[in-house]
Parts: sequence; structure tokens; C-alpha cells
Amino acid sequence: MVIKTRLITAAALCCGLLFSVAASASRLIPIEEAKNTPHASLPLPQYQGGTLSLQSVNDQVLLVDFWASWCGPCRESFPWMSDIQAKYKTQGLKVIAINLDQDKNQALNFLKKYPPGFTVLFDNKAAMPDRFGVIGMPTSYLVDREGRIRAVHTGFHQDQLGNYEQLITQLLAENKD
Amino acid sequence: MAVAVTNTMKKNHELAKILAAASCALVGGLSTAHAEESWDVDSAFLLYSESDGRVSAAEPVISATRNYDSETSLNFKLVADTLTGASPNGATPSDQVQTFTSPSGNGSYSAAAGEQPLDDTFRDTRVALSSNWAAPINRDWAYGVGGYVSKEHDYQSLGVSSSLSRYLNQKNTTLTLGLGASSDTINPEGGVPTGLFQVPEDASSSEFTQRNDSESKSIMDAVFGITQVVNRNTIMQFNYSINTSSGYLTDPYKILSVIDDDSTGNNYGGNYTVNNRNVYLYEKRPDSRLKQSLYWQTKHQFENNDILDVSYRYMFDDWGVTSHTVDAKYRFRFNNQYLEPQLRWYTQSKADFYSRYLDSSAYTEVDFASADYRLGDLDTYTIGLRYGYQFADETEFYTRFSLYHQESSGDDGYGKLTSQELYPGLDAAMLMVGYKF
Amino acid sequence: MSKRFVLLSLVGVVITTTGCSEMGVKAWERETLAQQEMSLINEPVESSLNDHVYFSKEASSGGQGFGGGGCGCN
Repeated sequence: MVIKTRLITAAALCCGLLFSVAASASRLIPIEEAKNTPHASLPLPQYQGGTLSLQSVNDQVLLVDFWASWCGPCRESFPWMSDIQAKYKTQGLKVIAINLDQDKNQALNFLKKYPPGFTVLFDNKAAMPDRFGVIGMPTSYLVDREGRIRAVHTGFHQDQLGNYEQLITQLLAENKD
Repeated sequence: MAVAVTNTMKKNHELAKILAAASCALVGGLSTAHAEESWDVDSAFLLYSESDGRVSAAEPVISATRNYDSETSLNFKLVADTLTGASPNGATPSDQVQTFTSPSGNGSYSAAAGEQPLDDTFRDTRVALSSNWAAPINRDWAYGVGGYVSKEHDYQSLGVSSSLSRYLNQKNTTLTLGLGASSDTINPEGGVPTGLFQVPEDASSSEFTQRNDSESKSIMDAVFGITQVVNRNTIMQFNYSINTSSGYLTDPYKILSVIDDDSTGNNYGGNYTVNNRNVYLYEKRPDSRLKQSLYWQTKHQFENNDILDVSYRYMFDDWGVTSHTVDAKYRFRFNNQYLEPQLRWYTQSKADFYSRYLDSSAYTEVDFASADYRLGDLDTYTIGLRYGYQFADETEFYTRFSLYHQESSGDDGYGKLTSQELYPGLDAAMLMVGYKF
Repeated sequence: MSKRFVLLSLVGVVITTTGCSEMGVKAWERETLAQQEMSLINEPVESSLNDHVYFSKEASSGGQGFGGGGCGCN
């Protein structure tokens, strides 16, 4: 009996000690606090041909998404990114999915199976994600027309899509000429 | 003060959020449909057969997992098994024919001179159902809850389990706390025998008529573990677990021989008799047991994609048992096939109250005693080979064949007993065939 | 014995977790770890059948682990 009580106490203590909860961002980062996109001038090979740097498409709102072919949630996010690109293309949204597979061939096989309705770049030497601060797969960044990171989203969660789309429309509406 | 209040409110708010998330996941998770949802089924059949006509078993299992997303899943598992054959009853072999009362008291079975006494009335069917739900709470936390129920004609078990995991260091480190509890009921054939009491001749004895129908035991366990990603190809886990059982921990079907230790008589080392009947006692174990174990596992994938999986467990308990287990598997991977040799080595030291037999001069003075070879000094070896073939549609056929060998050892007795084989080995073969779809 | 052991394990845990923060991989380096074959219990059905056999033939049981690692995607 003593052991049982001890066990329960220990368990409760452990839970208490361990518990700390991360907040999830649901608003745009204010302009004055926003950081510029790192590696903006770095050209990366494009799936659709040629190369592209983030700087070169600065006049648009960007959804920069880091993904890999082996990552389940990344696969899940593909249809959504295609949809959102089609829906907001005319308003100036550009979805750029940066592939981080070590082996580019695996990414190419994947793309054959799941054709993307958006721009795909290859960063197979992983030059970009460190300074972007990618901590999960996928991680996506909403970049405003001035090249500032205004929202960060880690993972792909069906229940957060509404909120995410709202941020996109907010950003598209910002200082529009 | 105001800050403190705000903090408390914030904490409560966060707690509410977690609870809401958890319940949403439970209720909502089951109904919201999404693209990646699927049922993964693993079904298998195990045939187990011991040499010399001892136990053989057939065990079908089906496990179905519903994946809601990459981290959320619901699993159901159904296992059935049927056992037939004979199992050692604990008595020593003898130079005389021995006759034993069957567990129910309504019959008897015997062992020829020099033969291992086996209870061939051993026969059982078990059905077990378990379920487990695992889901994230947020980026840093995940939880799991599970339940378990099993039934055989003389044994019922009901259990629950839960776990909480905390991810640290960009998910390279996972701390997990698991808690489990189960409540079991034993209703042996013929009722619950009185421990260390002489086995009566038949059910008409008063020992039988005053028996309880059932006994119970409860088990609680806790495990604390760290999983660590070492590098791109290596992952490691270290666990500490503690397990307490209390209640009826005795095996109601096991008995002990009382051996005549009067070195001046001509029955020295033979079965001790009273009124011309051999004396056998029902075994009796303490009513609590505390087990602790340390477990370490490492998995590494080589450049050629082959995978090495090695684990080690050290266990000790307050019955005096300590054990070491080493398990190693190496998976050779080809395009859509794999071949996996497996090795396992296990060694344990005996429980303090383990005794192969009791001495006639002292048997009335013991508090606990069991001659169950599973509580004695024991070494076991398993060698196995698993083969799998993955089809283009991502289903998999697999099979595994393994051989299990046990070696018991202990004190060899005295007088007549020394000519008997007190620690027979055991060999078993296992064949498993399965299909994943 | 038991108390000292628990204390020792706690110290071990602290050392391990501190040491562990030096180990590990970046989120985009989990290609191999994301494979189902690399999960610690990758054949749960085989494991449970084996555990059942060993449980009924030996004095020790349990102690083994659970998940962790893997894709750790998000």
C-alpha cells in the first residue's frame, strides 16, 4: 500500500514538473517585430525549370513551406497548398515549397506521384532551414510584400487551416495598391 | 499578487485548453474525416510446440490500427489461444510409480518410475481484447490511454494504462511516464487450495470442502523512459520500471514433493510417506511482489539500409530473482524483402523460497515454497529467423521460425533422489505466419 | 537498496538529459528515423506474441519500451 501511494505521488510530481505548455501563434507578427527573410538572394533550382530566389518574387505574398518526401504531414499538406495557390493566385499569393530531401531523386519520385499545383524549389544541401529556424516538418512561413516573415506555422493540422487561411487573406489585404 | 493571480488564471486556462484538446481529440478525432485516414491491419497465427508432448498452443491474433494522422491512432487487438498438453506439476520424479490427485479432486493421474510428473489435465483457452488510443496534446506533449480485458476458464484480467510524453530538444529527446493497473481474478478448478497443505486423496477431503472458489490479485506498474535520437541513423531508449503485485500470486496447480531425509533409514532420498501415502504439498508464494527493471534498447541503420536492434534488460525483485535478458535482431533489407536473424539469451537466479523439494524433517516449518521451475535457476536461449515480403500495394507477408531452449539447474538432492533427473530441459519450436494489410 | 537505486537512476536521468541536448538531428534530417522499421517496437504483433511465451515460461516480464523518435515531424 505504501508503495502504491508512493507511486501515485511520484507520478503526480513528475507530471507537475514536466508540464509547461507552448502557445500557438494565431495572429500576424506586427511589422515592427517582423524579421526579414534569410537567404532571400539565394537562387535555388526549380522543379518547374530554371532557378528562383525569394527576393525575385518579393512583390507577392509568399507562403514558404519546407517539406520532405518522407514526412507524412507534408504529404497531407500538398492538396491544401495546391488549393490555396489556385484560390489566391490573382490576389498575389505565391506558394513556394522548398524540398529538403537529402536525396533529390526521392523528391522527384514523390512529385510524380503527387503533382504540385505550386512552385517547388530544391534545397537538398539544406542551406536555408537553419537560419529560417525550421524546428519541425513541415514548417511554413508567411512572407509579406516587403519580404518580412509575418507568421510561422509548424506542422500541418486540419483544425488550424481556417485560421491559417485567414492570416493569408489578412496579409494579402495589407497595403495593397 | 496580481501577477500571481494572473499566472494561476493563465495556468487554469492552459489546463482547460489541454483538457479540451484531449477530449476533442477523443470525440472529434473519431468523427472528422480526412485524406490520410486508414485502417492498418496486422494478422498473425502462432503455433507453439514443446518437445516430449508437453504443451502445444495455437494463437491467432489480429491487430487493427486506425490512423487519424501521423500522430493520432486508435488500436484494437484481439488474441485467442488454446493450450493443450501436459505441464510439470512440481513434484520430483521417483523410483516408484507416483499417483497424483487431479486439481479438481475428481480424478487422478500418475507418473511412471523415473518419469517427470506431468499434469496432463492442463488445457485452456484464452481470449484477450485490448485497445489503445494515442494522440498529441500539442507540439510538446502527447498522451495515450488503453484498456485490456482477458478471459480464460479459470482466470480473468482487467487492466488500464496511460502514458504521457514530453518532447524536448526539437523532439530529439522524449520523456515518457507510463502508468498501468490491473485487477485479476483466479478461480481454479476445484477451488483455491490451501498453501503448504498436504494434497488430499480426493474432493471428499475437508481441505477441498472448505476451499474458496476464487482469489484475486492486483498489479500496478509505472515506467519512466527516455528516448533519444543519437544521429540520423541511431535511436536509443532507456527505461526504468517498477511493478507491484499483491494478492494471490501462487500457482494453484503446482505442488511440491516431500523427500525423506532420514539418512539412517532405507528410504533416504525417496518420497516421504504418511499412512502409506506420499506427501505432496500445495505450493505457496508470498502475497506481494515488487519488481524493478532497467531496459536499454538501441536501433541503428547502416549505410546499406540494414537495421540492427539490440536490447538489454536487467530485472530484480523482492523474491530474490534477478535476471538478464539480451535480445538482438539484424534485418537484412533487399528491395521488397527482408531476412532477419534473431537471438535472445535470458538468465535468472532463483527466488528465495524456490525449492525443488522439501525435506521431511523441516517441511512443516517453511513459510513459503514453490518447486515451479520458472522460479528456479534458469537459462534460456532463442534463435529465430524472420522473413518478410512486401507487395507493390504495400501489404506484407511474413513468417518467423524460432527454437526456444531452457536449461534449469539446482541442488541435486541426496540418497535415492540423486539418481533422478530433477532439472529436465525444455525445447520448443515456434512458427508464426502473418499478413499486414 | 531500493532508495539508493531510485536516487541513482534520477541522477542518471539528469545526466542523460543534459548530455542528450548535445545529441540529435535537425528536423529535416529524420529521413531514416521516419521509416516505420526504425521505430523501437516495429513489429508489435510479434513482440506481443513473444512476450506472452516468455511471460509464461520465465520469472521476468515487462520493462520494455514504447514509442519515441520516429518522424517527429511537427
